[in-house]
Amino acid sequence: MAGKRAAKRDGEQMVGDAAVRLPPDCRLGALSALHAELVAALPGGAVELDGSQVERVDTAALQLLVLLCRELDRRGGTLAWRGSSAALDEAAGLLGVAKILELPAAGPA
Amino acid sequence: MATVDLSQFHKTFFEESLEGLDAMEAALLALDSGSADHELVHTIFRAAHSIKGGAATFGFADVAAFTHVAESLLEEVRSGRRAVDAGLTDLLLRSVDCLRAMLARTARGQPVADAASEALRIELTQLVAGEAAPAPAAAQAGATAVDGWDIRFVGLPHLLRSGHEPLRLFRELQQLGRLEVLRAFVGDAVAADFSTLDPGECHLGWELRLHGAVARPDLDAVFEWLDGDCELAIAPLAAVEPVAPSPEPAVAAPAAAREASAAGHADGGSIRVGIDKVDALIDMMGELVITQSMLNDIGANFDLSQLERLREGLAQLERNTRELQDSVMRIRMLPIGTVFNRFPRLVRDLERKLGKQVKLELHGEHTELDKTVLEKIGDPMVHLVRNAIDHGLELPRQRRAAGKPEAGTLRLDAHHEGGNIVVRISDDGAGLNHERIRAKAVERGLVPPDQPLGDDEIAALIFEPGFSTAAQATDLSGRGVGMDVVRRNVRDLGGSVGVKSVAGQGSVFTIALPLTLAIIDGLVTAVGGERYIVPLISIVESLRLPADAVRRTAGGGEVFRFRDEYLPVIRLHRAFGCADAVTEIGRGIVVVVEDGGQRVGLLVDELVGQQQAVIKSLEKHYRQVQGVSGATIVSDGSVALIVDVGGVVRLGRCSGKAA
Repeated sequence: MAGKRAAKRDGEQMVGDAAVRLPPDCRLGALSALHAELVAALPGGAVELDGSQVERVDTAALQLLVLLCRELDRRGGTLAWRGSSAALDEAAGLLGVAKILELPAAGPA
Repeated sequence: MATVDLSQFHKTFFEESLEGLDAMEAALLALDSGSADHELVHTIFRAAHSIKGGAATFGFADVAAFTHVAESLLEEVRSGRRAVDAGLTDLLLRSVDCLRAMLARTARGQPVADAASEALRIELTQLVAGEAAPAPAAAQAGATAVDGWDIRFVGLPHLLRSGHEPLRLFRELQQLGRLEVLRAFVGDAVAADFSTLDPGECHLGWELRLHGAVARPDLDAVFEWLDGDCELAIAPLAAVEPVAPSPEPAVAAPAAAREASAAGHADGGSIRVGIDKVDALIDMMGELVITQSMLNDIGANFDLSQLERLREGLAQLERNTRELQDSVMRIRMLPIGTVFNRFPRLVRDLERKLGKQVKLELHGEHTELDKTVLEKIGDPMVHLVRNAIDHGLELPRQRRAAGKPEAGTLRLDAHHEGGNIVVRISDDGAGLNHERIRAKAVERGLVPPDQPLGDDEIAALIFEPGFSTAAQATDLSGRGVGMDVVRRNVRDLGGSVGVKSVAGQGSVFTIALPLTLAIIDGLVTAVGGERYIVPLISIVESLRLPADAVRRTAGGGEVFRFRDEYLPVIRLHRAFGCADAVTEIGRGIVVVVEDGGQRVGLLVDELVGQQQAVIKSLEKHYRQVQGVSGATIVSDGSVALIVDVGGVVRLGRCSGKAA
């Protein structure tokens, strides 16, 4: 199934102990909490995300993840996925950000 | 954050949309018959518009996309840029059918778009895109067919907070054609530091390419609400050859319509009630409360001097209750017009199919009847109407030869007659061919060859199971599974159907139905210590017989002479096992009842009076009892059983045959 894979950036496998779990309802209302978690995870340089629980996701959430990638790029950090749900893959594909996020594009984009 | 569960509104959306489609259809038919009324076009447009809006709100993207194209077409008509012709109304009528089917599939949670709907959507799209007359606004691109659009869409920071969701937008675009995201990018205005950014602000932008022959107005409609919330640039990809018209898609209109109506009936759980009826109920409740407080008052310090006031109060209570009952029953009553409304379309389609001309007249659309009856009477009526057009009305050339106007007249008429509603379906066609019916009946062994039969008796034969004279069974009617089913359906509703026909002048089918299934007018009879209610509709006559009028048959049965025939006597006390009943024929009363043309006499002790009986199911509270259709509570509070005349007649025939 799509999503069960780790993406790496600098050639080194970086899998932290605790992944940041994206909530099932990963939409605007949940983002300030998620944002805080991501900010907290940044200093480690390697952020691992678990998107396997995501049932609903909106553009704001995907934008936050895109901005996270940008930030990690800037810092030379890495992003890895511990899993991603079909809903997440589909939305990322539709918005054309699956590549940036290194998620499998499920949509016909 | 609390989110509203929109699914609770789905049912209302479906109901309103189906009503909207009915309105569209009616208006389209009116347009079709030549009245170029601006108001009609408005009605059609409004209906399409609100279906589109609702469908988009609830996320029924396929329905929204389809309606959207139809709406674009209608907008051109409304603004006078496109003339209404037969081809256009035909296309729109097919769209109505298609939308009905789509809604039905949506309601059932099935895939909404299918090959037929896609073909129709493309046809509509091409009409809008390909043939649109050049209009100032759409002149630069809308008039020519394009094979796609390049779109640059950059969200302003407040885009997401205003409730816009690019995901939804992209899905809508996908409905129009194949969507390709060339590039997604982050704007420059975003905070440099990840930790201080505001996740609610939008900083994304996209370069999109939409492939397909999408009309500019369709595209604009997707971005319609985004004015001031985004930066938008749209450019046509390249002009191409006008798209060849797609082959006529196979449209299964009747099937689709049936599908939709089946879905509509599947959960007939709600009813729309006029506000006046609700107001009447509230008034009635008010009166009831006043009466109650008055009675309370009397009860609180009662002495005999207040007896008269108590009587008055009780009389008032009775009046209130009866009025309340009437009003509540009236809530279930709907005008038969809702059934009539489906006929103009049916007639129009049949005209085309059979090459006949039909003038449809509707009378008494406002006649009200119970919702349950209403829902079940549609199919038998459709059958009769189809029959009348298929078999009854002649082809224009035949009519001309017979000295009649080329267009046949089909008249539907509904009115109240006593406690019944009577629906007549009459045509001025060829009438029934009595000779052929008779010959067929003899051939089928339904009647002996030498039996003398009157015209009406012969006509009644067409309701016999397996009877059909159509020389060639068409796909409309005449497969021999018609009239007997009509009769059975009408009988199941407690009604009757009959036909009168004059050769060369036409036929009249008459359906008589009880106004409601929940209440019947009954004759209360006493048998022993029990009360039995005989439905008034079944009663032919009540009479007191001299003791010697009854003869015994060889098998122990009893018959008496009534008019020109001998009828079996059924002693109700014996059939239902009642003690202490009158057993001498001469001292009791014989109630002659009829069911399906068969008559029997029921022996009861005496007649108590007439009463409206609210039917309670015996099956639900006890179990099914032969000869009894239900129970009710009579005025003294005791339970009375309602006689199932059909069952009792069958009982009588059985004992008659045994005799």
